[in-house]
Amino acid sequence: MSTLFNVESTGRFTDLLSREFGSAATSGPGQPMPRAAGVPDIDTHSTTVIAVKYKDGVINVADRRATAGYTVMYDQAEKVLPLDDHTLISISGSFAKSVEVVRYLRHTFKYFERSQLQPMSLDGKLMELQRVIANNMPAALQGIGAFIPVLSTFDTEGNTGRIYFYDAMGGQFETAEYGAAGSGSGPIRGAFEYILRTKGPFREMDRTTALKETLTLLEIAADLDTATGGASKHLPAAKYITAAGIHDFTDDEIRAGLGR
Amino acid sequence: MPSYSPYDWNESIQQRNEYIEDRLKEGSPVVATTYAGGLLILTLRQTQRKVYEIYDRLMMSAVGNHSDVEQVRMAAIDAAHAEGFSRSPDDVTVTRLVSFRISPAIKKIYSDPFAQPVVYRGIFAELGKTPEKDALVTLSYDGEFSNNVGSAVIAGSAYAEDRMREHLTSLTADGLPALDAAVAASIYAWGVGKKHIETADRADADDAEQGEGEADIKAFIADHLKAGWFVEAGVLERNVNRESRFRLLNETELGGSLAAYTA
Repeated sequence: MSTLFNVESTGRFTDLLSREFGSAATSGPGQPMPRAAGVPDIDTHSTTVIAVKYKDGVINVADRRATAGYTVMYDQAEKVLPLDDHTLISISGSFAKSVEVVRYLRHTFKYFERSQLQPMSLDGKLMELQRVIANNMPAALQGIGAFIPVLSTFDTEGNTGRIYFYDAMGGQFETAEYGAAGSGSGPIRGAFEYILRTKGPFREMDRTTALKETLTLLEIAADLDTATGGASKHLPAAKYITAAGIHDFTDDEIRAGLGR
Repeated sequence: MPSYSPYDWNESIQQRNEYIEDRLKEGSPVVATTYAGGLLILTLRQTQRKVYEIYDRLMMSAVGNHSDVEQVRMAAIDAAHAEGFSRSPDDVTVTRLVSFRISPAIKKIYSDPFAQPVVYRGIFAELGKTPEKDALVTLSYDGEFSNNVGSAVIAGSAYAEDRMREHLTSLTADGLPALDAAVAASIYAWGVGKKHIETADRADADDAEQGEGEADIKAFIADHLKAGWFVEAGVLERNVNRESRFRLLNETELGGSLAAYTA
């Protein structure tokens, strides 16, 4: 057979990108960037994203503010994004980098599934995300493009929701109850623990209760962190994952959760 | 040194056509059609999978040598994903994919007398935003492709394809069929095509339309189902909230149409 066709398929999307565009043109998780004068070391201030388990799966909420320094760039940013039919990624940090990584991961997962005729395993998907974050480290250290996501998924084999959070080097931590990222996540961490001790685990709450708690936490984050937008102008983003897939909360459900 | 004349070239093209057509003849026909909720590709098969997702709004099926089909499938998936990632999923269209990527590659191999040609005849189906924008393209081992509206078929012989097309068109004449009706019509059209190919191998096949009665076709399909063939049907759904528009129909969804043959 002629070399016009690629003879074997690894299902690895990076292989395809380097074959098609040459390695320098790939999405470049891992491309070092020139250091820009005056840029602070690592600037991850831009958001609050929260994931909590509830009894049928996982809920994700996020504010909608995108900032550059002290400027509010955008107040309708979408930071809870589907990677596949059972996986959500909630992004914090560099917006441009995050969106590119999401595009990259979506293609990576689908390319594998379509070419190999079987879905990528959950561990395989997690490894892809860890690698992207780790490869981004050189750029992050130079002050550009640091991003930290929270990944939520419904594990269809184990029939349970799962939440993973990350450090800047790609270190991955699975959480039993909740995960949060972004500049507003620090100030509210104690509040998560308070809820766990006084109201019981998130994973036993029903959907409405868990949504109400997470939206309250998001509002507290918006009060305490300038880079997190409140719900007064635009409703926060809110989605949930069950065995049946990803669903949007309706505006009415979100308003009810906010006590309006 | 031996010379290579136009006569040799002609001869070699004819020989490879015969070789490929002879091997394609065995293939199980494939039917693609637009239905009310999207696009359907249906075939009956024994062991190998035959209906494949290529990209967000693209699927493919084929008859031919399985490893050749695999190569075309992979080339299509590669081209679609590279384009969709570097530009936009909206820029991945069946026209661009087949006309400018896959067809030229196949043609080049076909025209090279020292290369092994691909034993392949396939259908690419692209789901449009509206049914009028659905695109069905059939592609052959020599790089020839053609655009079809509403439905398309491939089979081991041009005559079988003609008969299938005629039945399919009459079965889906009353506007866009529902999924059930599209599945039933496609299974029937498959039976028409497959039966023609098997009959053509026999000496008594003078009257081509003989044996095309409804009872004959139904018995023919029922025989295949009994012998372990089963229906594989992939759909691209127009209005879904899922990330993937492509899925294979399950047994429950096929059950209604199959009941007619299992009684």
